[in-house]
Amino acid sequence: MSAIDTASRNAPARRGAVRRFAASPRAVVSALVLGTIVVLVALAPVIAPHDPNTADLGRAFDPPEAGHPLGLDPAGRDVWSRLLHGGRFTLAGAAVAVAVALAAGVPAGLAAGYRGGWFDTLADWWFNLTMALPAMVVLLASRAVLGPTVWTLMVILGLLVAPSFFRLVRSTVAAMRGELYVDAARVFGLSDTRIMGRHVLVVVRAPIIIQTALVAGMAIGLQAGLEFLGIGSGDLPTWGAMLNEAFTNVHRDPLLMLWPGLALGLTSAALVLLASALRDVLEDRGAPAATGRRARSRATGGPAPSVSAEDRTALLSVRGLTIAYPHDDGSAKQVVNGIDLEVRRGEILGLVGESGSGKTQTAFSVLGLLPEGGRVEKGSVTVDGQQIVGAGERTLRRLRGSTVAYVPQEPMSNLDPAFTVGDHLTEPLRHKLGLSRARARERALELLRQVEISDAERVLASYPHQISGGMAQRVLIAGAVSCDPDLLVADEPTTALDVTVQAEILALLRSLRTERGMGVLLVTHDLGVVADVCDRVAVLREGRIVEHGSAERVLTAPEAPYTRDLLDAVLDNTPARGPWRPREEETR
Amino acid sequence: MLAFALRRAGSGLTLVLVISVLAHTLLALPDPDVGRQLLGPAAPQELVDEHNAALGLDRPLAVRYADWLAAAVRFDLGHSWFTNESVTQSLANRLPVTLSLMGGVTLVTAVVSFVLGVWAGVRRGAVDSAVQAVGVIGYALPSFLITLIMVIVFAVQLGWFPAVGYTPPGVSLTGWLSTITLPVLALSVPAVAGVSQQVRSSVIDVLGRDHVRTLRARGLPFPRVVFRHVLRGAATPALTVLAMQFVGMLGGAVIVEQIFGLPGIGAMTVQYTTRGDIPVIMGVVMVSVLVVVVVNLLVDVLVAWLNPKARLS
Amino acid sequence: MHTRAPATPATAAAGVALLVLAGCAGPPGDDDPATLTIGTMTVPQSLDPADAMGSAAPYFQAVYDSLVRREPDGTYAPMLATEWSYDDTLTELELTLREDVAFDDGTPFDAEAVKANLERFPEAGGGQAHTLEGLEGVEVADEFRAVVHLSQPNRALLYYLSDAAGFMANPGSLGDGLATAPDGTGPYELDPGRTAIGTTWVFERKDEYWGEPLPYEEVAISAFDRENALVNGVRTGQINAAVVQEADQQSVVRSEPGLESVPQDIDYQGLILFDRDGHLVPELADRRVRQAVNHALDRPTMLDKLVDGQGELTDQVFGTETAAYEPELDSRYEHDPERARELLAEAGHPDGFDLTLPRMPEIVGEPMATSISTDLAEVGIDLEWDELDPANALRAVFTDQAYPAMVMNNAQPAEDWVTVAELVLPGTFNFLGTTDDTVGELVREIQNAPADEAAEPARELNRHLVEEAWFVPFYRLTYQHVSDGNVEIEPQSGAAAPSLYNYTPAG
Repeated sequence: MSAIDTASRNAPARRGAVRRFAASPRAVVSALVLGTIVVLVALAPVIAPHDPNTADLGRAFDPPEAGHPLGLDPAGRDVWSRLLHGGRFTLAGAAVAVAVALAAGVPAGLAAGYRGGWFDTLADWWFNLTMALPAMVVLLASRAVLGPTVWTLMVILGLLVAPSFFRLVRSTVAAMRGELYVDAARVFGLSDTRIMGRHVLVVVRAPIIIQTALVAGMAIGLQAGLEFLGIGSGDLPTWGAMLNEAFTNVHRDPLLMLWPGLALGLTSAALVLLASALRDVLEDRGAPAATGRRARSRATGGPAPSVSAEDRTALLSVRGLTIAYPHDDGSAKQVVNGIDLEVRRGEILGLVGESGSGKTQTAFSVLGLLPEGGRVEKGSVTVDGQQIVGAGERTLRRLRGSTVAYVPQEPMSNLDPAFTVGDHLTEPLRHKLGLSRARARERALELLRQVEISDAERVLASYPHQISGGMAQRVLIAGAVSCDPDLLVADEPTTALDVTVQAEILALLRSLRTERGMGVLLVTHDLGVVADVCDRVAVLREGRIVEHGSAERVLTAPEAPYTRDLLDAVLDNTPARGPWRPREEETR
Repeated sequence: MLAFALRRAGSGLTLVLVISVLAHTLLALPDPDVGRQLLGPAAPQELVDEHNAALGLDRPLAVRYADWLAAAVRFDLGHSWFTNESVTQSLANRLPVTLSLMGGVTLVTAVVSFVLGVWAGVRRGAVDSAVQAVGVIGYALPSFLITLIMVIVFAVQLGWFPAVGYTPPGVSLTGWLSTITLPVLALSVPAVAGVSQQVRSSVIDVLGRDHVRTLRARGLPFPRVVFRHVLRGAATPALTVLAMQFVGMLGGAVIVEQIFGLPGIGAMTVQYTTRGDIPVIMGVVMVSVLVVVVVNLLVDVLVAWLNPKARLS
Repeated sequence: MHTRAPATPATAAAGVALLVLAGCAGPPGDDDPATLTIGTMTVPQSLDPADAMGSAAPYFQAVYDSLVRREPDGTYAPMLATEWSYDDTLTELELTLREDVAFDDGTPFDAEAVKANLERFPEAGGGQAHTLEGLEGVEVADEFRAVVHLSQPNRALLYYLSDAAGFMANPGSLGDGLATAPDGTGPYELDPGRTAIGTTWVFERKDEYWGEPLPYEEVAISAFDRENALVNGVRTGQINAAVVQEADQQSVVRSEPGLESVPQDIDYQGLILFDRDGHLVPELADRRVRQAVNHALDRPTMLDKLVDGQGELTDQVFGTETAAYEPELDSRYEHDPERARELLAEAGHPDGFDLTLPRMPEIVGEPMATSISTDLAEVGIDLEWDELDPANALRAVFTDQAYPAMVMNNAQPAEDWVTVAELVLPGTFNFLGTTDDTVGELVREIQNAPADEAAEPARELNRHLVEEAWFVPFYRLTYQHVSDGNVEIEPQSGAAAPSLYNYTPAG
């Protein structure tokens, strides 16, 4: 994957974001509310019926009437006109705060995160210092020096919240600094500023936009709070000032609090909603149909299985399986389209295909663990004669681990970084098999030795980040076989490993199959692996099985043109797919 | 370990020093006329000048700071220019009030936010929408409004809690609880709104990670996976937000302390800063910085406990 | 534990931590009938009598006695001094003292103590030091007779001796210590263990007091930042008594069943025109211009809307209990923009003029600022408000003398001379020293006339000042003395804070 590729991939992503935005009711409603408020406020000089400062004290507290739709305030000024004009200062104030915070926080965060070194140390120290300053003291003292205006307060507020932008940008940038495509871009000779502008900013864009909405909401709320403390914004009719004015007269005219309170509340609420909607849209969290217990069963439920459980003697039997991801607009994207598979005891079935062919989704459906939003639309999956599709969580839990087990693709991300290898191995042993702590530990050591880890004691006490990838994969395999399953679902178990380790892991799988008589569903894109260990092969392309047969036959005399292409690619010694990439690209 | 502790202490000390310089300069810049404020309009100018000179206000800023620092290192923070209270004594009186509030709010926020956030993140759907709505409302309502409404309803109308004042736990534990309950709840509303969203977001994030699927594939019950593994993974970012809330509360407590007539640090901040009571505010600043340093340290320790990877670096 | 650790900073820090955890003892129970809890927004600068101010009188009255006691109606009664008399020149006041009073350490209260206290007061540089201006010295006639010598008559001396200047501290303690460790002969003593300066002061009744003991065994004074909190405290019975000033809070108090409230007109609110000689704003030198300003303001509407009708319109600065007070002067300047414009035209300013006034938001809220500038604009005067930083507002007005006028709330004590001294004599609120022949002559007359003959010149002075429009008073503000029903409060003439002696258990 080259840098150019990555950059070009962002364009459609952006268009996608716009579409997702339009499809999210939360985003649309909050944007509409905000837009309406901004337009009304911007047009205040045109649409406000009165001058906001013209007072007729004799009519103070008068109720709403023609010409004064919201009545008159404690000084006899038109509330509606003040609300409109006041919004300009309130919103402009918030804009100032946001602008200052962005200007102070983002460039510093980019530079610190990207460059690191002394600038990072210095900037981090400075922003830590800013956060340790008592905000109220700084606000009050600055106001005494710079004058009692809303602008002073908002500039200072901007400086005080700048650290939140700094930290956000810095950590995001630092995390991606080492990532492949930035390195690649560097190799291509792009200048740092270009990389920063074209690639890095794109990544931090979403969190910045979200934070901006939150800070704007906070600034508006803070204006009101400061007014309440008597730290006013001079003579400008901000909503906060109006709210406080109303509060000092709350017993004489409680209704006066309603309008500025409503304006403030609506604006803040719209900003927060927009932020959360943007988060989902920009970070592509989509609003999944639902999960949870109810949702999980729905995800695997779908229509009744079209094939009955008769004639399902095989260890794993997949019949007419169709998996789809519904979109918000009601349509659904089918990723697996009516496939049939069978795995017998002691047999290794290779499920081969390119990325996106649906092989991983098939593997997940066997475990009853489709990712969020995915569901089995049609078909059935039985393991050891038991229906997986539509089964309750309790049934699935009983089957998982002891009947069907799972070896994932990427070893590191599949171990919980907060727990030791020992914890990972003993937890299922104790929980599923009811072993005592000491017994579970013994068994875990035994398992580690079985997967040919010599230094078992040390590994047991290690955290995932302290062991190598190959070691981690062995640990995962040890975990998978710990409760003596009948069927092993191995999803690209060797892809992330280097070649010598690959061979060892494959040998391990083979011996486990032989010793324990396990069936294995081996998901892979690598025909070499297939040739090495598989008894039979199913070739998957765009959710359909294009070829199915014994490994020997398929590899030597492929029938489908697609299989031939795959084989040719291997012979040309070009990999059918690039190196391993983060999981998002695999499962989505 | 020793080197780490030393480095930590060193950076904390530098922070305290730099902030004290900044704060002192910032407070002295408006050049508050203490004598005139104290003696009122009637006092002749000579008297005012004399009073200011007696406080050392006629000397250069740097000298005044040096004097303050020299006394401060001997734990002598001086006396208020306006009420003559010993700053150390005053802080000792007021800090327990504010710490009670902050501790209570942190506890309530942590518990409620985690329950709501995990619930929303795991169940999604209607529960999620409801939790988000609570968050939006908590954010959107100005906090002083929430506070005022709570006082009127629960203290004045229903009489369940006292409307004003503070009882130290040393005098009466139940009295203490009854005096801080309403202020803690009032402060917790916006805090819960913020932190629960963070927890929800982290939980969703962690739930989508590979190791959670793998753990479930081992046949571990989903609730167990959530409480043992997901929660721990989601705790680190939530903890950071919680810590920021805690630090921010030193300022946020101002309104609540004023409304409930609580004699805490926050309540004194506005009035004393406005008048320019530099010794008192310097004391407040020092205490705030100290709290920040301690909280940051605690967070680091907790994060290290939660996340073994952080232990090494 | 085997060895005692020496006190190091670490153990000191541990001590502080313990202190923090334990907290300090709080205020006493609120519904205890033996305890009076007063809520206030006023915090004394210290408990040294040299720093005393009338608004903080109850703090001082708890621990100190004054030479003269001022009754609720403003008349003077014996306290530490049992008798007093002036000589014919009104520059010598002879005080006869009680003979059975002693300070806590046994030091007797005598003429020497009076001398030490009174002579220190103007020197110590407190906010009220100017009230004893012109004190030449105190002569110790004998052990219990002291003679106060003045350089010129001070008609308010007795008032001042019943106020800040009159509090008598132990002469052995005069110095810095009094600020936090008061040492007087008063009916209570400060309980430092339960006092947290700045928030709560607790006073315990002394076992031995020379006079009639006050009805409460314990008095606690709690300071608040917001009147709203104060009123909530009274509503829930945590505070027994308080003064409520804000119009909105007054309406809460009045409408709340179970609360007792006593109204009192205390301060007047209005513009003080400093620049009557036209140094900053030449137009103000003309009486007609000042009268025009008076006519321009719509006082009835201001009273009705700004303070919810809680007050009485007035055009004079002397209070209703003074000899100078003339009821008909309260309506001297009707709201009459037409007349105001005429007066301005007569003065040669038909197009009005520009005016910039200082604004301290706690006195002049937005609505008041807007209404005044609207009313003045109506007659052609273009008013701008400068919002001042509270820390430096007084400096800008009184030291830098940067503004021609200012809106203030001023007390109206029953003693004419207090008003004369503060508002008319060159100094405090007449810092530019305006005067004229009539004023000079009347002031001299008041100052030197026998007590029963001072009323007429005072009234005349008042009429003259109103006619000359030295001031633009708006109204006398009504405050509510509110109690939770367990305390009866008798307002103190001319003071917002009732004397400590004015609180009694209800029923």
